[in-house]
Amino acid sequence: MTVSEVKVVTGPLADPTGSTRDDCAVIALKHVTREYAGHGGVVRALGDATFSIVAGEWVAITGPSGSGKSTLVNLIGCLDRPTAGELKIDNVDTASMSATELDRFRADKIGFIFQQFHLIPYLSALENVMLAQYFHSMTDEAEARAALVRVGLGDRVSHVPSELSGGEQQRVCIARALINNPPILLADEPTGNLDAANQKIVAELLQDLHRNGHTIVMVTHDPEMAGLAQRRIALSHGQVFCHPVSGPMVTLRRSTDRL
Amino acid sequence: MVKLSLVGMLRRSLVHRRARSISALVAMTVSAGVATALLTLYADLDAKLHKEFRSFGANIVLSAPASAPLPTNALARVQEAAGPDALAAEFAYAVATTDTGTPVVVAGTDFAAVRRLDSWWQVQSWPDATATDAALLGQRAAQFIGNEHAVALTFAGHSITLNGAGRIKTGGDEDSRIYMPLAAFTAWAGVGPSVIELQVPGGAAKVEATMARLRQEFPEMQVQPVRQLVEGESKIVDRTHALMYGAVLLIALTVAVSVLATLSASVLERRRDFALMKALGGSQMQLMGMFLLEALVLALAGVAVGFVVGSAAAWAISEGNFHTATLPRPSVLPLVLLLNVAIAAMAALFPARVLRGLQPAALLKGE
Repeated sequence: MTVSEVKVVTGPLADPTGSTRDDCAVIALKHVTREYAGHGGVVRALGDATFSIVAGEWVAITGPSGSGKSTLVNLIGCLDRPTAGELKIDNVDTASMSATELDRFRADKIGFIFQQFHLIPYLSALENVMLAQYFHSMTDEAEARAALVRVGLGDRVSHVPSELSGGEQQRVCIARALINNPPILLADEPTGNLDAANQKIVAELLQDLHRNGHTIVMVTHDPEMAGLAQRRIALSHGQVFCHPVSGPMVTLRRSTDRL
Repeated sequence: MVKLSLVGMLRRSLVHRRARSISALVAMTVSAGVATALLTLYADLDAKLHKEFRSFGANIVLSAPASAPLPTNALARVQEAAGPDALAAEFAYAVATTDTGTPVVVAGTDFAAVRRLDSWWQVQSWPDATATDAALLGQRAAQFIGNEHAVALTFAGHSITLNGAGRIKTGGDEDSRIYMPLAAFTAWAGVGPSVIELQVPGGAAKVEATMARLRQEFPEMQVQPVRQLVEGESKIVDRTHALMYGAVLLIALTVAVSVLATLSASVLERRRDFALMKALGGSQMQLMGMFLLEALVLALAGVAVGFVVGSAAAWAISEGNFHTATLPRPSVLPLVLLLNVAIAAMAALFPARVLRGLQPAALLKGE
């Protein structure tokens, strides 16, 4: 795996040679709004969100319950489409896609890590990883085994979820998210259901993935986990009210570069 | 080597949720079993009912014109025209006087043929077929006989004494008659047979067709159906058919509701699994395909088990009611299969709607 470097910058991600964040954005929102029809009228779950996330960046999305985090995750995860505005994932506008196109696009671009793991109970760890391959293209047992080895579960491949600890289940979930080599890892409270020891393991795994150049968008309530990210996007009442570009050095890569 | 296939996942899923799977399988088996039993019985129903109706006696009566005898070899020609399955018996009639001086109708016939034709007659003891001087006394006619063991009759100055073999009781005209062997009757009274009673197996259409042939064969004779019997049989057969259709539909509907509830619960239980598959890139078509395949597998398994159970039930019902076994009929299998697949498809409609409206993000978030 190689990373084609464009530029290394710190602070506000701007490139003196001309490459802007938008050029390198793997996720770009411009005035994105998502409204739902409710009983009492239209409910605006997310309003006029504009920001971008560049390839290789680790972003934490924070905010209280009802602030629009889930809506934002749905949109970035291609599980939903904006009511207004432009949402580009890997330079492709998802707003105009049909449901079928969005299914295919999601399988290609997004790796999901869930708080509750969501492993299929009657499939082994290996088969749960292969399930993502099945819906993406075709299964490859060797690759799936390698993914499990990568998250430290090489000796647990044939165990079903009920035979795995919470931390192990989450690592299976991470292996499943990685298996199709998606440009974006979308982690929704990845340590929310784990004890301290397993939180540490998963956090280290995410750090490792980030070091290897993965783009990680992580929803979290945990300030410690949020602190690991390079950047926070805070939400309140459906509004993105702060997205400072700060933290450790970020390597700008063009979103089309693959790991 | 680990392989992940749709069929493999389906199998594992069914085994994992075995209680739910068994519940759905039982419902589909009941549906297929009932349909198999009813359709198997239905296929045999005409034959069985017609067989039952045979025991009610003749359904066609051929009569010679007034005071004229039947043509020569009439019985053999009627039998030939009606087919080998038909039962026929000829009768000769005369009004004689009993030993008490009471006029009574005396009928000459072939007891063996009448016994087959009118098996519903209640007879104390049928006379031996070879007996030439036996008499069967109708329940009312016996009241006008002085000595039932030596039945003395006089017709046109000719007397005869017959051995009273017993009484018959039908509730009809037969109760007022005395029956004796045809040969003895003809020799005594000098009167030949004038009526042939015929029992043709089959429905009203077959009876009508036989009558048409007989009218052509015997233009000088009156060929009449026994209306009550022919029409009654036709009505009963039609009503039984309608009843069985109705029963199949009612049971199919009931089973469809049960399967609907089971499949709906099955989908609702697994909404998160389906939501996950959708999040992993599973298309609507793939998820629907998985679910419909599950319904189809249950329907097919139900047919396999239900056909065996239903055939056994049909055999037991047939044995219990008609005293003849009904063998399994593979010809009903396509219809049972169609019915079960239709039930499964109908029952899958609502859960399919649930799948279509699945919101993976909310479900996976636990909302």
